[in-house]
Amino acid sequence: MATSELTSPRAAAGRRNGRPPALRSGGPRRLARIAGRLGAGVSWLVVVVGAAAIVLPFLWMLGVGFRTSGDLYADPARLWPDQWTLHGVRAVLDQLPFTRLIVNTFVFAGGTTVLLLLFDSMTAFALARLRFRGRNALFVLILATLMVPFQVTLVPVFLTIYHFGWLNSYQGLIIPRATSALGIFLLRQFFQQLPRELDEAARIDGANDFTVYWRIILPNAKPILATLFIIQFAALWNDFLWPLVISSQTRMQTLPAALTLFSSQSGVDHSALMAGAAISLTPLAIAFLLLQRYFVQGVATTGIK
Amino acid sequence: MSAFGRRGRATCLAAAVAAVTLVAGCGNNGVSTGSSGGVVQLSMLTGFTGPDEASYQALVTEFNTSHPDIHVTMTAEPWATVAQKLPAAWATGGGPDLATPSSDPGSIFNYIKTNSVLPLDSAVGTGSGQIDSSAFPSVVRNAFTVDGKLYAVPANMATLVLYYNKDMFAAAGIKAAPTTEADFIADAKKLTVSSGGKVSQYGLSLADNNTIQMWPILQWMSGGDIVDSKGCATVNSAASVSALTQWSQLVIQDHISPVGQAGADADTLFSSKKAAMEINGPWAASGYTSAGINLGMVKVPVGSAGPVTLASTVPLMIERNGPHTAQAEQFLAWYTGKAAQLKFSQISGFPPARTDLGSALSGNATVSLFASALPDAKLYLAGLPEATSIDSDVYVPMIQRIERGANVASATAAAATQINKLTGCAS
Amino acid sequence: MTSLSPSSGAPRRRSRRRFNSAYLFVAPSVVLIAVFIAEPILQSAWMSLHDWTIGSADNPFTGLANYRSLWQDSRFWNALRVTAIYTAAVTVGQVVLGLAIASRLRRTTWYSSLLRTAYFFPFVASLVVVGIVWKFLLDPQVGLIDAWLGDLGVSNPPQWLQSTSLALPTVIAVGIWKNVGFTMIVLLAGMQQVPADLYEAAMLDGAGPWRRFTAVTLPALRPALLFTTLIATITGLQLFDLVFAMTGGGPVFSTESVVMYLYEKGFVEFQMGYASAIAWVLFIIILAVSAVQLRVARNRDGD
Repeated sequence: MATSELTSPRAAAGRRNGRPPALRSGGPRRLARIAGRLGAGVSWLVVVVGAAAIVLPFLWMLGVGFRTSGDLYADPARLWPDQWTLHGVRAVLDQLPFTRLIVNTFVFAGGTTVLLLLFDSMTAFALARLRFRGRNALFVLILATLMVPFQVTLVPVFLTIYHFGWLNSYQGLIIPRATSALGIFLLRQFFQQLPRELDEAARIDGANDFTVYWRIILPNAKPILATLFIIQFAALWNDFLWPLVISSQTRMQTLPAALTLFSSQSGVDHSALMAGAAISLTPLAIAFLLLQRYFVQGVATTGIK
Repeated sequence: MSAFGRRGRATCLAAAVAAVTLVAGCGNNGVSTGSSGGVVQLSMLTGFTGPDEASYQALVTEFNTSHPDIHVTMTAEPWATVAQKLPAAWATGGGPDLATPSSDPGSIFNYIKTNSVLPLDSAVGTGSGQIDSSAFPSVVRNAFTVDGKLYAVPANMATLVLYYNKDMFAAAGIKAAPTTEADFIADAKKLTVSSGGKVSQYGLSLADNNTIQMWPILQWMSGGDIVDSKGCATVNSAASVSALTQWSQLVIQDHISPVGQAGADADTLFSSKKAAMEINGPWAASGYTSAGINLGMVKVPVGSAGPVTLASTVPLMIERNGPHTAQAEQFLAWYTGKAAQLKFSQISGFPPARTDLGSALSGNATVSLFASALPDAKLYLAGLPEATSIDSDVYVPMIQRIERGANVASATAAAATQINKLTGCAS
Repeated sequence: MTSLSPSSGAPRRRSRRRFNSAYLFVAPSVVLIAVFIAEPILQSAWMSLHDWTIGSADNPFTGLANYRSLWQDSRFWNALRVTAIYTAAVTVGQVVLGLAIASRLRRTTWYSSLLRTAYFFPFVASLVVVGIVWKFLLDPQVGLIDAWLGDLGVSNPPQWLQSTSLALPTVIAVGIWKNVGFTMIVLLAGMQQVPADLYEAAMLDGAGPWRRFTAVTLPALRPALLFTTLIATITGLQLFDLVFAMTGGGPVFSTESVVMYLYEKGFVEFQMGYASAIAWVLFIIILAVSAVQLRVARNRDGD
């Protein structure tokens, strides 16, 4: 796939030739500069082509979603439809209880993410700023849960939820997922970076742990919270196995789960399949585009260590 | 249904808020069944997510109107999902009252082993309100009877026939659809068109994974098989080896079919007019017609071993520990009864899961065709408790290897050893 | 903890208060992890010592029999090999490409922001959607890729997902495509933290761009590199959704990952005991690999 200046030998060689500028006479120096420019140009080209390759499948997905199957079969090499059709979108909207699915998905993904940000930030605050016995052991334990393959806990978790009487309920969907090791880890890194003086000043003013957490730490954590929000919201929004297993009833289904069911329908209605995929992606795309400016900032401030 | 487009944003928001308050308060508990106002609620989980779902729903609706004291709610989820949630759901006793565990009839053994499926013996009989298993096709009755007890009824019944594209046959100058294996092979070669090393039209569309099995039919045609009734491998018999050799050569050398297609790929190939023939079941017809194929359907051509095709049936079972097993049995009795099966055939195009409806269906050519194949139809890996393992661990990979040029004799020999190890066949 | 002198009230109260609030803060997560992750994984360890079938009344204790059969199970070894190749290739590919792209897009301009968005976008799409879309893109009949190759005059375009030798590399490429944006963002964030005066000092010393990259950027990026490598390794070893949607593990097991095999055993064939044994072996492998990565990183830090 894509290479850039780091991996492109020509570009690297160009740079190396130009390294000790003072010792070079005019000719080779200009040559080196041209080579460097050329290398930079090539690497930009590669990065742009790579980005196109990243986006292309999504464009194609949109195209197929609005295309008749006859049109697709006749010329699969065309990216955009010749004959536009709303058949796919209509098939999705007609066959799925859309309002219900949207509500369920927002409640599940949104509710879980909010709870998760709260619980994770509380734990991370304790791990980063408070002293207590077993702190390191707890941290290691939390990290270890990152390594548990989800499939293996599925049956035992299902049984537990059954015993709680939580099947087919929002609490059954939400509560078991309301904490995440990755979230705790990232938040802990972030909290450790915040200057100690912040809480010390507050404590002198008589603040207790809770006030420090709520009034000092959280307001300073907006970028990382936004970042985590996107990561977790996307993961939960896209999760189809969990809602399918926990909710056997249609009224509790989520959009991606329903679309997965939809996509398995005899597998040949390409436009409906791709329209469905596009529809499930839209809310995430919007959320991502709105929040993305926090993203680099959010990750940067964790200073991952 | 698609209220989303028309309703305003405010309504959606209100619904979301209402839903959020629900979270804090109540939420339904795990038990999905119950009775309200004297009506017994039954839930039924199936894997019928395809275009045929409407036919099953219509049948369920009819049952609900004719039985005011019972209400059945049918849901459909992909087979993989059903397989994933049903075992645990039934083990806890909180699952659906009725379910089709898998499209593979062999799957019933797993549920019998785990004591989660209700034996239907007490409800079997020929009287009204009883399950008339004597009218089931014998392949089905045998497959669903374990140690003398009936554990499931057929949710549907299907046989495979040969679909062909009439326009392609006409273009190739072939007058009639093949009726013998020799014609079948000759036509498949003739209908395969290639230019400059690239095949532009395949004679036959074969699938080797995630599909209704097609390859066993090719083996059965000339007397081959996979496993005998005692559970001993016959996949390496002389007839099997020669059949597999012949058909794999047709694929490898004559390119009559692409290699490695899943069932959905094979269907796409046929409906995109890139293949002239495909062996498939009744569920495929409507899709091909709407894709604009000038469609012909005949029985699978006859080879040296006489007429044969593949039968497929989906088992419908009752949860053993469910609260309303009597009502569930009543539903099954009605579902497999004459009136319901007749109606189901008419709306779905599937043959009925009863053998005593012959004359009533003569008006429907499609249904008659699938029904007429029934006496010669065999189930894939019928009656074997290890069917699931043999399929996924042995048979599917063996066909995939052979299609990609593996030596047939050694591939089948290895498969036979594996099968005998799984079934515990001594010989 | 401390030896308490029962009469002195003040210190006790203080120690109790500190003790209490920290535990209150971690309580929700700890309870959730205990109930929904730790207990289930321990339960699955117990299952792995039995011939455990879901829902069965009788699950005989078999000791280490499941692990012994696993040792001789060629399909398991194949799955392990597939998973190892996938993980190694995707981790290396993701980190190298992510680094390359990040260093190109380091400066924030309108076009680099646009490109960053493009690269990151697949990260928010679900693996199932990605799998379905790519499966169709690569389809020999209706897919764009082979159609374009055909237009370019390739008479027999590769059977990407049907060929036993190409299927795994194809899945790897899609895996990199999906996650390279995430790596890029993390590394980009790391790069922006490098103080500008370090670069200026290096420039004064006559260091060229490559030298600046190896001498300044890379060392400063070590934590971010460790993080991305670790996350890529862990998710790689847990490969499931992508394979499930694209190939189902085929053809002839050539893309069957460990979790895919675990799924087959547990949820298709109902052998939860055996599936749990597979899961535990995988769990231990993931722990070991992560520990080694952390150790290597720490040793380097010590230099």
